[in-house]
Parts: sequence; structure tokens; C-alpha cells
Amino acid sequence: MTALAPSAVNTIVPEAARTPRFAWLRERGMGATILVSAISTAFGVVLLSATGYLGVALGSNPDYGSSDTMIVVLALLSGILLAVAVYVAAIVTANTFSTIIAGRTRRIALMRLIGATARSQRSEVATQGLIVGAIGAVLGLVVTTVGVVVAVPMLDRALEVTSDWSPVQPVLLLPAVAVALTTWIAAWSGSRRVLTVTPLEALGGSVERSREEIAEKRGRRAGAVVLGSIGVVLLVGGLLLGLLSPAGVLVAFFGGLFSFTAVSISAVSVMPPLLKATGRLFGKSVTARLAAENAVRYPERSSRMAIGVVMGVALVVMFAVAAESAKALVAASAGGEPDASFNEMMDVFSTVMMCLVAVSAVIAAVGLVNLLTIGIVQRKRELGLLRALGLTSAQIRRMVLIEAAHVTVTALLFGLTLGVLYGWVAAQSLLGSVAMPPLWMSPTFVAPAIPLLPVAIVIVATAALTLTAAVAPTRIATRTAPVEALSE
Amino acid sequence: MQITTTEMGLAARVQNLTKTYGGGENAVRALDDVTVGIRRGEFTAIMGPSGSGKSTLMHIMAGLDAPASGSVWIGDTEITGLSDVELTILRRRRVGFVFQSFNLVPTLDAIGNITLPFDLDGRRPTSQERTRIDGLVETLGLGPRLRHRPHQLSGGQQQRVAIARALATAPDLVFADEPTGNLDSRSGREVLSLLAAASREHGQSIAMVTHDPVAASYADRVLFLGDGRIVADKPRQTAEQISAHMLSTEVTA
Repeated sequence: MTALAPSAVNTIVPEAARTPRFAWLRERGMGATILVSAISTAFGVVLLSATGYLGVALGSNPDYGSSDTMIVVLALLSGILLAVAVYVAAIVTANTFSTIIAGRTRRIALMRLIGATARSQRSEVATQGLIVGAIGAVLGLVVTTVGVVVAVPMLDRALEVTSDWSPVQPVLLLPAVAVALTTWIAAWSGSRRVLTVTPLEALGGSVERSREEIAEKRGRRAGAVVLGSIGVVLLVGGLLLGLLSPAGVLVAFFGGLFSFTAVSISAVSVMPPLLKATGRLFGKSVTARLAAENAVRYPERSSRMAIGVVMGVALVVMFAVAAESAKALVAASAGGEPDASFNEMMDVFSTVMMCLVAVSAVIAAVGLVNLLTIGIVQRKRELGLLRALGLTSAQIRRMVLIEAAHVTVTALLFGLTLGVLYGWVAAQSLLGSVAMPPLWMSPTFVAPAIPLLPVAIVIVATAALTLTAAVAPTRIATRTAPVEALSE
Repeated sequence: MQITTTEMGLAARVQNLTKTYGGGENAVRALDDVTVGIRRGEFTAIMGPSGSGKSTLMHIMAGLDAPASGSVWIGDTEITGLSDVELTILRRRRVGFVFQSFNLVPTLDAIGNITLPFDLDGRRPTSQERTRIDGLVETLGLGPRLRHRPHQLSGGQQQRVAIARALATAPDLVFADEPTGNLDSRSGREVLSLLAAASREHGQSIAMVTHDPVAASYADRVLFLGDGRIVADKPRQTAEQISAHMLSTEVTA
């Protein structure tokens, strides 16, 4: 007996005492952040490689001629697309981290109680952001670079060129580093709430706060109003100028940039009323009412969750509507006859652009699925209560689905509206003054032309996203026995 | 022919109830062949030290947990073997709950929480039920607080909202799980008086799980649990008598 004791101590104690240093990586939300960073990096690598490759490939084939301007335009376009994707990724990551923090409140409070400073707790969170960002960036970089190495010879054959282009370039580190740093900053900004956690919260008995206080930042609000007004003026100005000269599109471009920035920084004030309006669509049943309350329970969280999807939808729809309206404008100027080759060119262009901006939409979608899931996990206790009081699992499932639908439907409608508006202004301001044979009518003015197929795809994708986003949470929500949830 | 629960004058009963947690060597027998009834119209306290099985007994009686063996009746309905949906609807219509940590729905205001069981049932309270709710709101002094959300209420107020919610449907049985555990002693006494009054004046059957002798002294009947068995069943007791009993079992155990 006595002989057994020391060996038992030797084997058991170190095992129990060892806290895995990277245990937090398994926390819900970290995986999604890695995925988001990986997608952003991969997107950047693909864009840079494509630009570089096209430059070399086009140059090597005399048929295509040298086209330096085109390379510059491509590079600029890649830069903008990458910036949009990284911006959406940053919103998603900041949101994910602030949600993770909400779930860690008790533990942070305990650390504070024992004597950790709020700052040290916050920088710990930020460091975790840097680590997951770096993991995602490296993953995205490696996987995509391998993909590009494989793809180049195939492309060479398809385009009948010998590019001799080396896919492994130091410049590819750029998106990876940018993404890792952005994730770091996003985690830091998302962890602001750590500073407000008091050591007292560890002692329990405190009432769960049901709503985040929305600090109405007056400065931010004023900034949004100013930017928004300038944006609208520029959009209208661009539209009018477009009737005289294609340069109108430049004015309108800045109008779009300003007005959208205004929308995204004032998301917290803009989205909740829209979310509430959507709530009315689902009727007055108890599940619908609970879901409606849940959807605006953390206004900041749901607003940012929705704004990412709004951006994705708006960008995709914008290119679709711009191309369709451009076709209509050209046809109008020519006297009603559509120009087949121009239409074909517009279709190819808009399809390529839609696919590229869809990457941002995918990033926003990952964020949405992730946040809804964490939200449900953190509310296990409340769901247990509802089960105990008599909500059936079918009702719970419906509630979670409606909650997800609140965000997606609102984002879809808002995104569609913005996309149609921006796309139409773009086409009108660029081509309103351009005269086409045989009638050479100018200026021309058309109503927004909305292509059905891309819009239908966007709607179906959003519906699919809603269902996907609700799958994991409903499984968690309905699998938990009421007792288990109540005793947590 | 078997005698029904109602004919016995009981609101709920369990027969030969056994519940085991874990398996093999580490198995813990939380309930060991328990047979007991909760009498209709009475305020019953279920006492016992931590780990005596009192919470498990309550969870199984309320249809929140399934026993390893044995039968459970709420009113004349045998709930062992009911499907999840049937159990859920039974809880919604015929059982009320008051928890230690209040457990109100944070997104609903006080009146929304009180009428939640009706909303879950997809119906409005009848005029009779309406009167009952108004009476409860009046008695519990919640009138000015009806539009407040849980985080705007004190612990005592939250627990009174929970009591109103539990009593609103006039359930067969109200389960109270350490209802005073998170309250200061004055709010705690208030809550206990309210529960006792509901039973005395309106014939509400209440089963309260507690390990506080003062809380149990408000009950008409005190059941003592120890190591998964009913060890004593006594009529109304003073807090001193209950404490003395608890101490004596502690010493002999």
C-alpha cells in the first residue's frame, strides 16, 4: 500500500497541476477568428498573385500588348478589394472578442479580485488576438501559396504563355502581416469591456445585466452625420455631373465611400430600429417576441454582426445593378438596341467583381454564425429556465431561428437598398453623358436596372446563411437538459 | 384497482424512486427507494444537508430529470414515461417554480415574466385568471414595478415576481428550490410568509427544498432527507426543533 502512494503522487499531481498554456485556443470563437484571418490572408495572396501573374503573362505575349496602365488599375483594384475584406474581418474579429469577453467576465473579475490589473488582463486578450491572427495568416499564406504554385503552370498552358513567374514572392508576406496586425488591433479594441469589470463581480449574486449600455458617443454621431451629408451631396452631385461628363463617377465614388463609412460608424444607432422593424414581420407569438427581444438585447453586438452582412450584400448587389444599369444606359443612348459585345463585357466584369467582393460577405457570414453560437452558449441558463417553465424544444428551435433571421433579413433588405442605390448611381454617373451609335442620344437617364439572377442568388445565400447560423445554436439549445442548464 | 393520487389527498407523489449518478465504483446513489407524497393544500419543506438528494428529488418530481427506477405522479398523471413535449406542457400548465437565483427572463419586464406561462401556452389569461394575477400583484406589492426589467429590481422584488409567476396559473404544485438562499433575512422572511399565506389562504400546494431551519419552520410539514432516503416526516416544527433534529442526525450519522 505504502509503496503505491509515491508513484500515484508522481503520476497524478503533475498531470493535474499542468494547465495547458494554449487551452484558451479551444474557447468558442477562437476557431472562427483563425478562419476569418485565414480567408482574408488567402484572399490577399490570391489577389497579389493574380495581379503579378497577369502583369508578367500579358507582357510575355505580344498579342496582348504591353499594358502598364492596366496593371496599375489592377493593383489599385486589388488594394481596394483587400482593404474592404480586411475591414470586414476586423469588424467581425472585434465583435467576436467583445463577445468572448462577455462570457469571461466572471473569470476576469476573479483575476481582478486576486490582484491582476485591468490593463494586464486586457493585454492578455490582445496577445491572444495576435496569436490567433498569426495562426490564421500563416495558414492562409501557406495553403494559398501552394495552391498558386500548382495553378501557375496550368494557367500558362490555358493562356498559351510561358510566364516564368515565380509564385513565391516576399510581397506575399504583406497581406499576412497586415491581417495578423489587424486581428491584434481588433482584439484590443474588442476587449474594451475588460476595463469595466469590477472585482466585485466575482463574488456573484449580481444580477445579470440584460442590456449593454450604449454609450452615445456624441463625437462619433456628429462625425457620422457630417460624413453622411457630404456623402449624399457628392452622390447627387456625381449623378448630375454624370449627365455632362463621365468624370461624374469619381465624385460619386467619394460620395459612396463617405456615405457608407457614415452608415458603418453609426451602425449602433441605425441598426436597432431596423432590427425592431423586422421583428414585426414575425408576428406576436411568444417565441417571436422573445426572439425579437434577444435580437436587440446587445444592440452593439447585433448591429456589428449585421453591418458586416450589409456590406457584403451591398457590394455584390452594387456590381450587379451597376452592370445591368450600364447596359440599359448604352441601349437607351443607342436608341433602344442593346449592344451585344458591350453587354457580354459588362457581364464578365460584374461576375468577376461579384465573386471577389463575395469574399467579404463570406467573412461576415462566418462572424454571424460564430456570434450567434457564442450568444446561445452564454445563455444556456436562460434557455434551461424557459424549458423548465414550459417552452418545448420545437419552440426553442423556432426562437433561435427567428433570432438569426432578424439579423439576416434586416441586413439583406438594408444591403439590397444600398447596393441598388450605389450601383445605379455608379452606372448613371459614368455613362449618363456617353453617346452611342446609331442615335447618339445624350444625356440619357434610366431607372435602376435590377438583374434578377444575382439578386436571387444573394437572397438564397442569405436564407442558407440563416439556416446554417441557427443549426449549431439550436442543437446546443435543445440538447441541454433543463436541470443541467439551471444548475450551471 | 389502484387508488389515485387525488383520492389520497395528494398533489404529487413518488413511489420506489431510485436515482444513481455515475457508474461502476464511483456510482453515487442520490435517491434510494424513496416513496413519499406531497399533500394537497399544504406547504411542505424538504430538509436535508447538501448531498442528501433533496434537489434531485425535487427535479424528478417536477419532471426536470428522469429517475433510474420508480414512478412519479403529478396530480393523477403519471409523468414517468411521458414524452419531452408532454412533460413540457405539463410543467407549463400544472407546475410552478421558484428558484434560488430568481431566474427571471432578463429581456422581459415584471408583468411579462408573470404572464410568461400563459404566453408559452399561446393564450391570454381568462378573466378569472386576470383577477388572480391582479390579486397576486396587489398582495406581493408589485404594482409600481410591473414595467421594470429584472436588473432594475432588488433581489426581494425579483423573487416576488418569480412567486407571482409560479402562482399565476394556479398550478397543482409549486416547487421552491432554496427560495431564500440569495436574499437578506428580511426579504427572506417576507418571501416565506408569502408562500405560507398562499398555501393557507388559497390552498396552494407548495414543496420547498431548503437546508435552512428558519425557512423550514414556516412549513406545515417537514420531510427530512439523508443519504437519499426519507429519514423523518414531521408536522410543523419550530426552527429550534428542526435544528435539534438536524444536529442529532449529523451526530449519529
